[in-house]
Amino acid sequence: MKKLSVWLLATLVAFALAGCSTQKGPAEQAVASADAALAAVRDAAQKYAPEQLGAVEAQVQSLKDSLAQGDYKGVLAAAPAVSSAISSLKDAATAKQADAEAALAKAKDAWGPISADVPKMVDAIQSRVDILSKSHHLPHGVTKDSLAAAQSGLSSMKSTWSDASNAASSGDYTTAMSKAQSVKDQATQIMQSLGMSSS
Amino acid sequence: MADDKTPAAPATDNPYTQTYTVQSGDTLSKIAQKYYGDSSLYTKIFEANRDQLKDPNRIFPGQKLRIP
Repeated sequence: MKKLSVWLLATLVAFALAGCSTQKGPAEQAVASADAALAAVRDAAQKYAPEQLGAVEAQVQSLKDSLAQGDYKGVLAAAPAVSSAISSLKDAATAKQADAEAALAKAKDAWGPISADVPKMVDAIQSRVDILSKSHHLPHGVTKDSLAAAQSGLSSMKSTWSDASNAASSGDYTTAMSKAQSVKDQATQIMQSLGMSSS
Repeated sequence: MADDKTPAAPATDNPYTQTYTVQSGDTLSKIAQKYYGDSSLYTKIFEANRDQLKDPNRIFPGQKLRIP
Protein backbone atom coordinates (compact mmCIF):
# COMPACT_ATOMS: atom_id res chain seq x y z
CA MET A 1 0.00 0.00 0.00
CA LYS A 2 2.77 2.38 0.87
CA LYS A 3 4.61 1.51 -2.37
CA LEU A 4 1.40 2.17 -4.31
CA SER A 5 1.00 5.61 -2.62
CA VAL A 6 4.57 6.50 -3.43
CA TRP A 7 4.16 5.42 -7.04
CA LEU A 8 0.91 7.35 -7.27
CA LEU A 9 2.50 10.46 -5.85
CA ALA A 10 5.49 10.16 -8.16
CA THR A 11 3.18 9.79 -11.16
CA LEU A 12 1.16 12.86 -10.15
CA VAL A 13 4.32 14.94 -9.77
CA ALA A 14 5.58 13.75 -13.16
CA PHE A 15 2.29 14.79 -14.79
CA ALA A 16 2.44 18.19 -13.06
CA LEU A 17 6.00 18.76 -14.22
CA ALA A 18 5.10 17.75 -17.76
CA GLY A 19 2.22 20.22 -17.74
CA CYS A 20 4.46 23.01 -16.57
CA SER A 21 7.09 22.29 -19.19
CA THR A 22 4.50 22.34 -21.98
CA GLN A 23 3.50 25.85 -20.85
CA LYS A 24 7.08 27.12 -20.66
CA GLY A 25 7.56 27.46 -24.42
CA PRO A 26 4.36 29.40 -25.02
CA ALA A 27 5.06 31.60 -21.99
CA GLU A 28 8.54 32.42 -23.26
CA GLN A 29 7.08 33.18 -26.69
CA ALA A 30 4.45 35.46 -25.15
CA VAL A 31 7.10 37.48 -23.30
CA ALA A 32 9.32 37.68 -26.38
CA SER A 33 6.38 38.89 -28.48
CA ALA A 34 5.43 41.54 -25.93
CA ASP A 35 9.03 42.71 -25.73
CA ALA A 36 9.34 43.00 -29.49
CA ALA A 37 6.01 44.79 -29.86
CA LEU A 38 6.96 47.31 -27.18
CA ALA A 39 10.38 47.90 -28.73
CA ALA A 40 8.69 48.74 -32.04
CA VAL A 41 6.65 51.59 -30.51
CA ARG A 42 9.01 52.75 -27.79
CA ASP A 43 10.59 55.74 -29.61
CA ALA A 44 7.27 57.25 -30.67
CA ALA A 45 5.70 56.46 -27.29
CA GLN A 46 8.60 58.08 -25.43
CA LYS A 47 8.03 61.29 -27.35
CA TYR A 48 4.25 61.42 -27.56
CA ALA A 49 2.85 59.22 -24.72
CA PRO A 50 5.56 58.91 -22.07
CA GLU A 51 3.27 58.30 -19.11
CA GLN A 52 1.34 55.57 -20.86
CA LEU A 53 4.67 54.02 -21.95
CA GLY A 54 5.78 53.85 -18.32
CA ALA A 55 2.66 51.93 -17.33
CA VAL A 56 3.00 49.47 -20.21
CA GLU A 57 6.70 48.92 -19.48
CA ALA A 58 5.72 48.00 -15.92
CA GLN A 59 3.23 45.46 -17.25
CA VAL A 60 5.85 43.85 -19.53
CA GLN A 61 8.35 43.72 -16.68
CA SER A 62 5.76 41.99 -14.52
CA LEU A 63 5.34 39.40 -17.27
CA LYS A 64 9.11 38.85 -17.35
CA ASP A 65 9.22 38.51 -13.57
CA SER A 66 6.50 35.86 -13.68
CA LEU A 67 8.42 33.98 -16.38
CA ALA A 68 11.61 34.11 -14.28
CA GLN A 69 9.71 32.68 -11.34
CA GLY A 70 8.39 29.82 -13.47
CA ASP A 71 4.80 31.02 -13.27
CA TYR A 72 4.08 30.07 -16.89
CA LYS A 73 0.36 29.83 -16.26
CA GLY A 74 0.38 33.36 -14.87
CA VAL A 75 2.34 34.63 -17.87
CA LEU A 76 -0.11 33.08 -20.32
CA ALA A 77 -3.08 34.45 -18.36
CA ALA A 78 -1.69 38.01 -18.30
CA ALA A 79 -0.24 38.11 -21.83
CA PRO A 80 -3.44 39.07 -23.69
CA ALA A 81 -4.00 42.14 -21.50
CA VAL A 82 -0.38 43.22 -21.98
CA SER A 83 -0.71 42.79 -25.73
CA SER A 84 -3.84 44.93 -25.70
CA ALA A 85 -2.07 47.60 -23.65
CA ILE A 86 0.79 47.75 -26.14
CA SER A 87 -1.69 48.07 -28.99
CA SER A 88 -3.45 50.97 -27.21
CA LEU A 89 -0.09 52.61 -26.58
CA LYS A 90 0.76 52.40 -30.28
CA ASP A 91 -2.60 53.93 -31.23
CA ALA A 92 -2.19 56.77 -28.72
CA ALA A 93 1.36 57.60 -29.83
CA THR A 94 0.37 57.49 -33.51
CA ALA A 95 -2.61 59.80 -32.93
CA LYS A 96 -0.58 62.30 -30.91
CA GLN A 97 2.22 62.25 -33.46
CA ALA A 98 -0.29 63.04 -36.19
CA ASP A 99 -1.68 65.94 -34.13
CA ALA A 100 1.80 67.30 -33.48
CA GLU A 101 2.73 67.10 -37.16
CA ALA A 102 -0.50 68.85 -38.19
CA ALA A 103 0.14 71.63 -35.68
CA LEU A 104 3.70 72.02 -36.97
CA ALA A 105 2.50 72.24 -40.58
CA LYS A 106 -0.06 74.89 -39.59
CA ALA A 107 2.59 76.89 -37.75
CA LYS A 108 4.93 76.65 -40.73
CA ASP A 109 2.22 78.03 -43.02
CA ALA A 110 1.52 80.91 -40.65
CA TRP A 111 5.19 81.79 -40.30
CA GLY A 112 5.54 83.24 -43.81
CA PRO A 113 3.07 86.14 -43.42
CA ILE A 114 3.98 86.98 -39.85
CA SER A 115 7.70 86.96 -40.59
CA ALA A 116 7.00 89.61 -43.23
CA ASP A 117 4.71 91.73 -41.03
CA VAL A 118 6.37 91.88 -37.66
CA PRO A 119 9.74 93.34 -38.70
CA LYS A 120 7.90 96.13 -40.51
CA MET A 121 5.79 96.87 -37.44
CA VAL A 122 8.90 97.11 -35.32
CA ASP A 123 10.64 99.33 -37.89
CA ALA A 124 7.65 101.69 -37.91
CA ILE A 125 7.68 101.88 -34.12
CA GLN A 126 11.44 102.45 -34.06
CA SER A 127 11.09 105.33 -36.49
CA ARG A 128 8.37 106.99 -34.43
CA VAL A 129 10.23 106.51 -31.16
CA ASP A 130 13.40 108.00 -32.68
CA ILE A 131 11.47 111.09 -33.81
CA LEU A 132 9.55 111.53 -30.56
CA SER A 133 12.81 111.28 -28.64
CA LYS A 134 13.90 114.47 -30.44
CA SER A 135 10.65 116.27 -29.80
CA HIS A 136 10.54 119.18 -27.35
CA HIS A 137 7.05 118.20 -26.31
CA LEU A 138 5.12 115.00 -26.77
CA PRO A 139 1.94 114.94 -28.89
CA HIS A 140 -1.48 114.77 -27.34
CA GLY A 141 -2.17 111.30 -25.97
CA VAL A 142 1.48 110.26 -25.64
CA THR A 143 3.08 110.47 -22.21
CA LYS A 144 6.70 110.18 -21.11
CA ASP A 145 5.79 106.82 -19.59
CA SER A 146 4.28 105.49 -22.80
CA LEU A 147 7.34 106.65 -24.76
CA ALA A 148 9.65 105.00 -22.23
CA ALA A 149 7.57 101.83 -22.39
CA ALA A 150 7.81 101.89 -26.18
CA GLN A 151 11.60 102.23 -26.00
CA SER A 152 12.01 99.29 -23.63
CA GLY A 153 9.38 97.38 -25.59
CA LEU A 154 11.47 97.75 -28.75
CA SER A 155 14.38 96.08 -27.02
CA SER A 156 12.35 93.12 -25.80
CA MET A 157 10.56 92.75 -29.14
CA LYS A 158 13.84 92.57 -31.03
CA SER A 159 15.17 89.98 -28.60
CA THR A 160 12.04 87.83 -28.80
CA TRP A 161 11.94 88.18 -32.57
CA SER A 162 15.53 86.94 -32.77
CA ASP A 163 14.50 83.88 -30.74
CA ALA A 164 11.50 83.34 -33.01
CA SER A 165 13.68 83.53 -36.13
CA ASN A 166 16.20 81.09 -34.67
CA ALA A 167 13.42 78.65 -33.80
CA ALA A 168 12.05 78.88 -37.34
CA SER A 169 15.53 78.32 -38.78
CA SER A 170 15.81 75.10 -36.81
CA GLY A 171 12.37 73.93 -37.96
CA ASP A 172 10.58 74.55 -34.65
CA TYR A 173 7.74 76.56 -36.18
CA THR A 174 5.48 75.96 -33.21
CA THR A 175 7.84 77.83 -30.90
CA ALA A 176 8.58 80.39 -33.62
CA MET A 177 4.90 81.22 -34.08
CA SER A 178 4.26 81.47 -30.36
CA LYS A 179 7.07 84.00 -29.98
CA ALA A 180 6.17 85.82 -33.18
CA GLN A 181 2.58 86.28 -32.10
CA SER A 182 3.66 87.69 -28.75
CA VAL A 183 5.87 90.23 -30.54
CA LYS A 184 3.04 91.16 -32.89
CA ASP A 185 0.63 91.63 -29.98
CA GLN A 186 3.15 93.80 -28.15
CA ALA A 187 3.84 95.85 -31.28
CA THR A 188 0.12 96.43 -31.81
CA GLN A 189 -0.25 97.65 -28.26
CA ILE A 190 2.74 100.00 -28.53
CA MET A 191 1.50 101.42 -31.82
CA GLN A 192 -1.82 102.21 -30.16
CA SER A 193 -0.07 103.86 -27.20
CA LEU A 194 1.90 106.09 -29.58
CA GLY A 195 -1.20 107.05 -31.55
CA MET A 196 0.05 105.38 -34.70
CA SER A 197 -3.28 104.60 -36.36
CA SER A 198 -3.84 106.08 -39.82
CA SER A 199 -6.45 108.72 -40.68
CA MET B 1 13.96 94.53 -38.66
CA ALA B 2 16.59 97.19 -38.25
CA ASP B 3 19.72 96.25 -36.41
CA ASP B 4 23.41 97.05 -36.78
CA LYS B 5 23.64 94.85 -39.87
CA THR B 6 20.23 95.20 -41.50
CA PRO B 7 18.88 98.66 -42.36
CA ALA B 8 15.25 99.44 -41.58
CA ALA B 9 12.71 99.24 -44.36
CA PRO B 10 12.14 102.77 -45.71
CA ALA B 11 8.84 104.39 -44.79
CA THR B 12 7.82 104.22 -48.45
CA ASP B 13 7.85 100.43 -48.34
CA ASN B 14 6.33 99.93 -44.91
CA PRO B 15 2.57 99.28 -44.72
CA TYR B 16 2.68 99.93 -40.97
CA THR B 17 3.92 103.49 -41.35
CA GLN B 18 1.11 105.79 -40.26
CA THR B 19 -0.57 107.88 -42.94
CA TYR B 20 -2.52 111.12 -42.87
CA THR B 21 -4.79 112.64 -45.46
CA VAL B 22 -4.16 116.36 -45.83
CA GLN B 23 -7.11 118.61 -44.95
CA SER B 24 -7.76 122.15 -46.08
CA GLY B 25 -5.57 124.59 -44.12
CA ASP B 26 -2.98 121.99 -43.14
CA THR B 27 0.75 122.66 -43.24
CA LEU B 28 3.57 120.23 -42.61
CA SER B 29 4.35 122.17 -39.42
CA LYS B 30 0.80 121.75 -38.16
CA ILE B 31 0.86 118.06 -39.01
CA ALA B 32 4.22 117.65 -37.23
CA GLN B 33 2.80 119.46 -34.20
CA LYS B 34 -0.13 117.03 -34.16
CA TYR B 35 1.87 113.83 -34.47
CA TYR B 36 5.18 114.75 -32.85
CA GLY B 37 4.27 117.56 -30.48
CA ASP B 38 6.92 119.66 -32.21
CA SER B 39 6.32 121.63 -35.41
CA SER B 40 10.04 121.89 -36.13
CA LEU B 41 10.09 118.19 -36.90
CA TYR B 42 8.12 118.78 -40.11
CA THR B 43 11.31 117.87 -41.99
CA LYS B 44 10.80 114.24 -40.99
CA ILE B 45 7.45 114.22 -42.77
CA PHE B 46 8.87 116.01 -45.79
CA GLU B 47 11.76 113.53 -46.11
CA ALA B 48 9.39 110.57 -45.85
CA ASN B 49 7.26 111.96 -48.71
CA ARG B 50 9.88 113.21 -51.17
CA ASP B 51 8.28 111.03 -53.85
CA GLN B 52 5.21 113.28 -53.83
CA LEU B 53 6.41 116.54 -52.24
CA LYS B 54 8.83 118.85 -54.03
CA ASP B 55 8.37 121.78 -51.68
CA PRO B 56 7.58 121.42 -47.94
CA ASN B 57 5.39 124.52 -48.17
CA ARG B 58 3.18 123.10 -50.89
CA ILE B 59 0.78 120.41 -49.80
CA PHE B 60 -2.77 119.90 -50.99
CA PRO B 61 -5.99 118.56 -49.48
CA GLY B 62 -6.41 114.89 -50.25
CA GLN B 63 -2.72 114.09 -50.37
CA LYS B 64 -1.96 110.99 -48.36
CA LEU B 65 1.23 111.60 -46.42
CA ARG B 66 3.38 109.07 -44.58
CA ILE B 67 3.99 109.99 -40.95
CA PRO B 68 7.16 108.15 -39.90
